[in-house]
Amino acid sequence: MSAIEARDLRRRFGDGVEAVRGVELDVAEGEIYAFLGPNGAGKTTTVRMLTTLLRPTGGSARVAGHDVVAEPGRVRRAIGVALQEAALDPLMTGRELLHLQATLHRIPRREGRGRAEELLARVGLSDVADRRVGTYSGGMRRRLDLATALMHRPRVLFLDEPTTGLDPVSRKTIWDEVRRLNREGTTVFLTTQYLEEADQLADRVGIIARGRIVAEGTPQELKAQVGKPHLEIAIAGDGHERARAVLARYGRELPATDGRLLVELSDGASEVAPIVRALDESGIAVEALELVEPTLDDVFLAKTGEHLED
Amino acid sequence: MMGALAADWPAIAALVRRAMNEILRVPGAAIPGVLAPTIFYCGLTAVFGNLTELRGFATDSYQSFVIPVSLLQGAGFTGAATGVNLARDIEQGWFDRLLASPVPRTVILAGMVLSAALRALLPATVLLLVAFAIGAHWPGLGGLALAVAGVMATATAAACWGCALALRFRTQSAAPLMQAGMFVLVLCTSSYAPLDLLTGWLHTAARINPVTQVLEMVRQGFVAGVTWDGTWPGLLTLAALVSVLGAFALRGMRRMAD
Amino acid sequence: MVEALLANARVVAALGARSIRQTFRRPQLAAPIVVFPSLLLAVQTGGAGRAVELPGFPEVAGFLDFMLAGAMIQSCLLAGNSGGIALALDLEQGFADRLFAAPVSRFAIVLGRLAGTAALGALSALYYVLIGLLFGVTFEEGLGGIALMVLWATLAAIAFGSLAAALALRTGTASVVQGMFPIIFVILFLSNAFFPAQLMLEPAATVAQYNPLSFVVDGIRDPVISAVSGEGAAKALLSIAGFAALGFCASALALRRRLRHG
Repeated sequence: MSAIEARDLRRRFGDGVEAVRGVELDVAEGEIYAFLGPNGAGKTTTVRMLTTLLRPTGGSARVAGHDVVAEPGRVRRAIGVALQEAALDPLMTGRELLHLQATLHRIPRREGRGRAEELLARVGLSDVADRRVGTYSGGMRRRLDLATALMHRPRVLFLDEPTTGLDPVSRKTIWDEVRRLNREGTTVFLTTQYLEEADQLADRVGIIARGRIVAEGTPQELKAQVGKPHLEIAIAGDGHERARAVLARYGRELPATDGRLLVELSDGASEVAPIVRALDESGIAVEALELVEPTLDDVFLAKTGEHLED
Repeated sequence: MMGALAADWPAIAALVRRAMNEILRVPGAAIPGVLAPTIFYCGLTAVFGNLTELRGFATDSYQSFVIPVSLLQGAGFTGAATGVNLARDIEQGWFDRLLASPVPRTVILAGMVLSAALRALLPATVLLLVAFAIGAHWPGLGGLALAVAGVMATATAAACWGCALALRFRTQSAAPLMQAGMFVLVLCTSSYAPLDLLTGWLHTAARINPVTQVLEMVRQGFVAGVTWDGTWPGLLTLAALVSVLGAFALRGMRRMAD
Repeated sequence: MVEALLANARVVAALGARSIRQTFRRPQLAAPIVVFPSLLLAVQTGGAGRAVELPGFPEVAGFLDFMLAGAMIQSCLLAGNSGGIALALDLEQGFADRLFAAPVSRFAIVLGRLAGTAALGALSALYYVLIGLLFGVTFEEGLGGIALMVLWATLAAIAFGSLAAALALRTGTASVVQGMFPIIFVILFLSNAFFPAQLMLEPAATVAQYNPLSFVVDGIRDPVISAVSGEGAAKALLSIAGFAALGFCASALALRRRLRHG
């Protein structure tokens, strides 16, 4: 059974804008699935439909085996949600917020209190648990938001742009926690506009643009669709032509930029060492060497004609 | 059904506790809402106190006559404030957290309106203490109970109204509409003078306005005495208001996903 | 010097226009200035209208004739408060910093806000004149009297606006200025805005007789129910000047403090 299933999922708003135009999804249990796309692509709208906060105007979706329209209560019991805004009550303390979440999920009092302490320790907020959320930094709020979403041990966790606006250290903390949750068996559906986040975290990535999924697969599969890695070499002195002859044995030459030589690598990074040895044995001095791999931005560009990141 | 309600009671209590933070944890935030009805009461008494000289006034104590106006105004504003708080929670995303939880929509609404009913007791208490200090008549235990019931039920109805608007417009900009609605309902009654002494359009409006019944129900203990004939129309009106406005609010809740 | 004055005048006009635009683009700011006092006027006229039968009540054609001035002064106070809230919001949201960083006179920035408040005061006064005409009020002093009413209302709005601006500059917090709402009504109740002072209950009656706001109200009311007198006009003008002097001094001090300490 898929953890998340969507068939021709659509959402049209009152002003005629169709924000989601036929999204198809099959996220397996225990998978980390990243929805990658720019602002306005339809990521948040899709998440809101999957988390029962917005009714689809077309198509259907099932989360943890329950239909989001016909069985919203059952869906809500199975999911944890940390949305785009770390929507926390600034007047409550971190501990109070977790206790409230436990109450909302009908977790017995003692069990809820224990679980709250466990989660506070896990996200590193035990020391500030009795401070009001209004005094927390952005990173602390995100961690508390995540802890709140985990209170009832959800089967499926939805994270909507979980690290937007965070510093690199906080971002890494969130990533580590996501990986840990996934190892424990939680299915994670996250939306992001950061290539690195999708690349680093996700088992599979769905690239969404203008309300439709334009590409889907593992990060490696997606990148392989748009080309192979290539090596950029800057040659010192006048060894250009000799270098060209050596490189021709290893792969196709690509159009050069800035006087550098570019060679496509059919077998990836493993070809770098032999090329360097061959150049060295030919007495060609190498000034600089860079392995350039396709990025998800290249995938986005190929599929949509636009860059995801400027 | 009772079993389900019992199971949801902790959630209702938790939501009421959270709503109380607004007045307990923000220093000074409660003061305008708590003091305003008392300030208006003292002002109205001081300004219009000699209206009792007119023939047709059943009492010579304007302090006693006008107290239900301020009680219901305070309740109305407390209820409207609940709507404003909900609109803020919607704008800031906090409400999504409640909606994404398995708590039934009725329970979420119950938590909000119950908190309004309880919060309304604060300005009412201050008002009653000041009113008695400046000479308002003691209404008797029955009259006092009716006043408290009137305040809590009005706050509940006003909270349903405020929440319905918050769910419809999803912005704090709708606050004036929430406040104005209750303001108009309470003032377009026999608020300043007995029904027979009202002039022009207000006489007609007060006769039609069902809140006049509520006002008279709360007033009777302070100016004459509590009777069943003076009570049941007010109770019926409150029950109807809470039912109708509650239904609007619940409908709004259910349409949040639309 | 003339050039500098002209430049500042342009700034004042531009900021005044901005403040008026803001009010009309955010109706929730304008509503309290006109809607709330109109409601109160309608209800009080209908509810306490028989008060004209009380011995000692001034000779009027109707209670509305008496109440119109009260509604006008209420709008002036609320317009002033609204201007203060808007200035505080500018301070909170950082827009004021943009203005302070520009090569314009600091006072021109505050005056610009007051120019907007003045326009609101004038417009609301005209609105109540229209209401009066629609509902049968007789303006004893005719067009000249109406012009005088609008003038008093405009000047009063500026004076009250300067007090609210001082509070905004001192605190930089919109909610504090907003919290003045009940205080405004205390001041109104302790004046003859809604009822003749001599017919109010003590001690409010005594306070109302000496409250400078009552002199302003009389200045606005006289053209409607009786005749404009030199003494009445002088009292109104002095009272407005007193409020304005207090407001401008407090604003200047608050502004200086803010610019010094940030």
